Amino acid sequence: MRCRPTSIVAIAGLCLAILLGATAPAHAQQTVSGVVTDASDGTTIPGVTVAVRGTQVGTLTDTEGRFEITLPVNRRTLLFSFVGYATQEVTVEEGQTQLDVALEQDVVGLDEVVVTGLASTVARENLANSIETIDAETLTGNTGAQSLDAALSGKVTGAQISSYTGAPGGGMSVKLRGVSTINGNSQPLYIVDGVVVNNSAIPSNVNAVTAAAAGGSRSNQDNPVNRIADLNPQDVQSIEILKGPSAAAIYGGRAANGVVLITTKRGAGGDTQVNFSQTVGVTQIRKALGMRQFTADTAEEAFGAEGRAQFLEAQDRGFIDYEDALFGENGLLSTTSLSIAGGNDRTRFFISGLLQDDEGIVARTGYEKRSARVNLDHALSDKLTLSGSANYVNARTRRGLTGNDNSGTTFGVALTATPNFIDLRPDESGTYPDHPFNASNPLQTRDLFTNQEVVNRTITSARIEYTPLTTTQQTLRIVGEAGADFFSLQSEALFPEFLQFERTSPEPGTSILGETTSLNTNVRLIGVHILSLPDREVSFTTQAGLTGVRADQVSSNFVARGLIPGQQNLDQSTSLSPSQVREKQNDRSFFVQEEVDYAGRLIATVGLRGDRSSLNGDVETFNLYPKASLAVNLHAFPFWSVDQVNQLKLRAAFGQTGNIAGFGTKFTSFEATSVGGVVGTLIGLRRGFADVEPERQSEIEGGIDLGLWDNRANLELTLYRKEITDQLLQREVPSSTGFRQETFNGGTLLNRGIEASLTLIPVETDRFSWQSTTNFWANDAEVTSLPVPAFRALGGGFGATLGEIRVEEGKSPTQIVGVDDRDGDGVSDGVFQLGDVAPDFQMTFSNELAYNNWRLSVLAHWKKGGDNLNLSELLFDLGQTSPDFDDDSNGNGVPDGVDRVNNVGVSAAQFVQDASYFRIREVALFYALPAAFLESFSSGLLTNARLGVSARNWLTITPYKSYDPEVNNFGTQPVSDGVEVTPFPQTKELFFHLRLGF
Amino acid sequence: MTIPTFTAARFWAISFTAGLLAVLLTGCDLMGISNEPDPNGPSLESVVQEPTREKIANVAVGVESGMRTDLNLYLTNVSMIGREVYRFSASEPRFTSELLGSGSAVLDNNTFYITRPWAERYRVIRNAEIMLEALDNAPDGLFTAEEIAGYRGFADTIIAYQLLLNANLVFENGIRVDVSAEEVGPVVPYTDALDAIAARLDQGAAQLDNAGADFAFPLSEGFDSFDAPATFREFNRALAARVAVYQGDYPQALTVLDETFLDDEAPLDQGVYHVFSTAPGDIVNPWFINPQQSGNLLAAHPSFVEDIARDSEGAIIDARVDKVVAREETFEQVGLRSEWGFFVYPSQVAPIPILRNGELLLIRAEASIQEDDFATAVADLNTVRAAAGLPAYDGPETGASDARGADAAVATAMGMVYWVACP
Repeated sequence: MRCRPTSIVAIAGLCLAILLGATAPAHAQQTVSGVVTDASDGTTIPGVTVAVRGTQVGTLTDTEGRFEITLPVNRRTLLFSFVGYATQEVTVEEGQTQLDVALEQDVVGLDEVVVTGLASTVARENLANSIETIDAETLTGNTGAQSLDAALSGKVTGAQISSYTGAPGGGMSVKLRGVSTINGNSQPLYIVDGVVVNNSAIPSNVNAVTAAAAGGSRSNQDNPVNRIADLNPQDVQSIEILKGPSAAAIYGGRAANGVVLITTKRGAGGDTQVNFSQTVGVTQIRKALGMRQFTADTAEEAFGAEGRAQFLEAQDRGFIDYEDALFGENGLLSTTSLSIAGGNDRTRFFISGLLQDDEGIVARTGYEKRSARVNLDHALSDKLTLSGSANYVNARTRRGLTGNDNSGTTFGVALTATPNFIDLRPDESGTYPDHPFNASNPLQTRDLFTNQEVVNRTITSARIEYTPLTTTQQTLRIVGEAGADFFSLQSEALFPEFLQFERTSPEPGTSILGETTSLNTNVRLIGVHILSLPDREVSFTTQAGLTGVRADQVSSNFVARGLIPGQQNLDQSTSLSPSQVREKQNDRSFFVQEEVDYAGRLIATVGLRGDRSSLNGDVETFNLYPKASLAVNLHAFPFWSVDQVNQLKLRAAFGQTGNIAGFGTKFTSFEATSVGGVVGTLIGLRRGFADVEPERQSEIEGGIDLGLWDNRANLELTLYRKEITDQLLQREVPSSTGFRQETFNGGTLLNRGIEASLTLIPVETDRFSWQSTTNFWANDAEVTSLPVPAFRALGGGFGATLGEIRVEEGKSPTQIVGVDDRDGDGVSDGVFQLGDVAPDFQMTFSNELAYNNWRLSVLAHWKKGGDNLNLSELLFDLGQTSPDFDDDSNGNGVPDGVDRVNNVGVSAAQFVQDASYFRIREVALFYALPAAFLESFSSGLLTNARLGVSARNWLTITPYKSYDPEVNNFGTQPVSDGVEVTPFPQTKELFFHLRLGF
Repeated sequence: MTIPTFTAARFWAISFTAGLLAVLLTGCDLMGISNEPDPNGPSLESVVQEPTREKIANVAVGVESGMRTDLNLYLTNVSMIGREVYRFSASEPRFTSELLGSGSAVLDNNTFYITRPWAERYRVIRNAEIMLEALDNAPDGLFTAEEIAGYRGFADTIIAYQLLLNANLVFENGIRVDVSAEEVGPVVPYTDALDAIAARLDQGAAQLDNAGADFAFPLSEGFDSFDAPATFREFNRALAARVAVYQGDYPQALTVLDETFLDDEAPLDQGVYHVFSTAPGDIVNPWFINPQQSGNLLAAHPSFVEDIARDSEGAIIDARVDKVVAREETFEQVGLRSEWGFFVYPSQVAPIPILRNGELLLIRAEASIQEDDFATAVADLNTVRAAAGLPAYDGPETGASDARGADAAVATAMGMVYWVACP
């Protein structure tokens, strides 16, 4: 669907003008004033919204919690609302002038507001979509997490959030509602305070040494960090997750994978609040696999005469557990954070700082982050407010060298060739012996090489909000926003010339330097008009706006070989190969949205977004993304008489989003080449698709929300059907054209799923309370149309012999296929489906128990089904070092390791392993020091103090044989996941917390 | 009263809408996106539609450079099947299974050793076709008529040579010769392909006749002495002589040879080469592998040393034995065995020849035998034998059916790796 935007905006404008023309009745006036307090402790609450129901009259409480409001005639109902509290409705008596209100804390979150437009919100009670909201307490209140996305793990219904590495700095793959693209961009759009932030995973190019992607210069097997990890989770006030197009359509062509809206903390009026938190923890390998125990005979069988000799020597010296030597460190974790928030009725501020210093389970690995933030809000007048945010992050990541390789250099691959009877430790002079059975000595590599990346990042935003019009019936707001996200990333890897594998290279010594700078900027101009027609109990919210987003990223990579001993600089080398990639994206969009609310009973929304992008073939045309939704609050109708049911909502929503083609898809370009010292141009192998269009996703979502017994029980049930059409597919072209492949739009992918969430408050007394949330979700995906032959998904393994994730018409996109022996004759009978990466379903169980000053919270996560491709086991078997190599589980007299190796090429089924798990993701116990004690101890300086102990991933039950079911050699991929090749093992963490409030 | 407020409201609403409209209708920059070209490399359009002297010269350099990519796979194919080397790789069993036909293994038409060199040759052809298309679009006065003829002669010659390599790669399976348009032409049989290649070479030679003294683009030192239209034409004719031999048109081969750089007095290795370096953007010799390497190696076929000429005491007298070196560790895997490492290319920047004087002598010898001109043939063979330190030829002179004559023909046809790499 395409059109010129002018007509749409014109129509919207016309509607606005007509609505404004509606007449309003005359009013007489009555003034009420009072104080709003917290019902639990009686403290006053500043900033509470006080509104006259059915009108646009409203005010905020001041720093002492006081308010004063003038009521229009015949309007006596006041609504008091504030984040974290249940909205309260109070009717003012005739002639009453004083009104004090005590707000109850809102446990279930029904009264929170949810951002549904680009600049408007709606109460959750009236929401027509299933939108996940995660508050600060849920995100970071319980336990430590390496990164923001890691802290989301297990907390989002309908999401597949999986960690792909245990390396310091993390690395997460986030998929919302199944696979949403095959070749396109696959990660959600992250927006922090209105700034579109870069979440790319930039490879460090250590591939130049590991040759993991042999022949490819830039690969995705370098174990990169995705850059959302730079954000400080402690700064986050709340996260909203728009999971599918029906909710995210207003973000158009960038929202195909959902939208993660992150709001950071801001100052509140009143006393300045200082919060200090110190977390100290320890990280360990979650599961160690163990080492094979040899005998002199098996040592000789596996490693020849040399093996026997070394084994006999080792019998005197003792055996060495190399897994423990490499992955057995207890890494120290420390996070210190401080925040100061305060202000007055005109100006509010929030300042925070973070120091994070994490060690890994491998020596000389770690992650250090320093972050500072200032958020300012200032009201120039009643009508004009300004807000600004600035965030600076400096992070240094050292992730070792793990994962796949073709050179025997990574720790993991080297370990598979390392029996426990050889001695790789350095002698007294610090000289490391050569590994007799492998190209590298992993201890030497670990101790003497360097692989680190340093990022410096600033995210800044400014917002101006002007309210030129406020009457009893209508308000008009104009919002202008601008943001910038800039980072520079430097990655350096140094492999000195004396490393075992460098010494035998034709050019010993390798230095790799990568420099990336990225600048994302965006602007938005939005007008929001709200009109309330009290006579008819109807209100209209109209908004229209324009947005622009620009992204520029430049990556340069240098590989210098043949280093002068002891030197790292690029010029201290015999040869230097440079490469550079520039990517630019420039998008312009308009949108309009109309929301009609009839007495809180019927809430209907329609909206339209139009996007043009420099990445499309046609940069002029706007691709249109419509949306429509309806929520029906049955309980709000007069006929509703079931008192036990305080909420019954039926909802339905439809929406579309797009996924813009990757940079360069539309270009047919030359590559640089050189011969005889003269540079030339040689046509690229990829034929550009000059007419490329975005992929399109359409989603229909329906659901029911049920609240019982005054919201002591809440059920939210959602069904969705999401179809992706016009996918960006690749097809081969006859190579006699000089090209190899081209992109085209085609094919269809279908996701259907169910999400259910049950929140219970079984007990709630003054001393004891128990809150429990159980989530369940399942997604079923199918490639319904694929106009090209079946192919291996990006990063989907290494071919049918070893098992691969194959995209095939009529099948689940995440199916694992491989050769298999079906008739038992010991020979492969062809390629069959052997498994599926996608789980059958997932469940989480979140329970929070509070007793006096104690609070215990547990988050458990059950993933049922879903297979991994465990190729670590294959490498250990090929190296004859698997811990269970000598077992004979099938009783055929042949060691299992030999059985498995013999089975390679016959069946890949042995690599496809069930990656189900039940995991205690988070468990935390906190104790809040009594107020009276604090009062006497600190003479009122300390307002609260909490001590706690917590753990992450402390207990896992899984049938998966290798380190951990959460793994992927290829990092974040659109379809694939769970391909394991000697990874950086996953970890578990234990933390101690101290939190002080002043 | 509310009326003033509503006026204000209407004012604001209308101004805001008008503002949006103004922005959209005037197409002001706020909503406009410029269609920027690829920042990572020159675009096809910019070269074809807005040609400049520099852009087209760059494409010509790309044509020469691209000829080298995956050449190692072509050489592996012909020299494995021709039983000249063993290419062994622990991680790539198909070199020894499919190319040597071990067990029941057969050649596969969808495997890298065919598809990659095939595609790279056609990529060079595409590059040359783009150059021709850009020349057609060049504004008047950008090039002289001679310069254009020079480009065309160069393009025709290289296109014909690349087609010839692919024709020999797949032999009777045939190739596509009409690939200038986006939709490629049909696959034609080997003989038709040779006819088309010969015609293309003739077309190129005619262009080179009118191409003046100099090319408008640089050629690498691999084309030293062949980098001007007149001398490059000698290379073109040498290719034509090779094609004529493949066609079995020996009189034509002998005629064409007169226009080549064939010279009994000149060194045998005088000719045209692919050159390599470690400079950025350049590649190193893709067929250089340390002759002592194990696991991933090139070994000489044992027959090379077994069959080499020796004196009566058994000492090797053929100087070309320096094309191999004794391996410190005998290669013995998958049923193959060789004590000799392949040492035609002594370093990673050693050049790979395209066509040399030595091969022209052999072409003349072969064609002369076929035409029963034994005197010329023996003289040429003796030139080659003398260069290798061998005594003059004293065998029978019995014509095309003779085994030796056939051997010479085979030697030429197979491109003989050792031969081609003469001292």
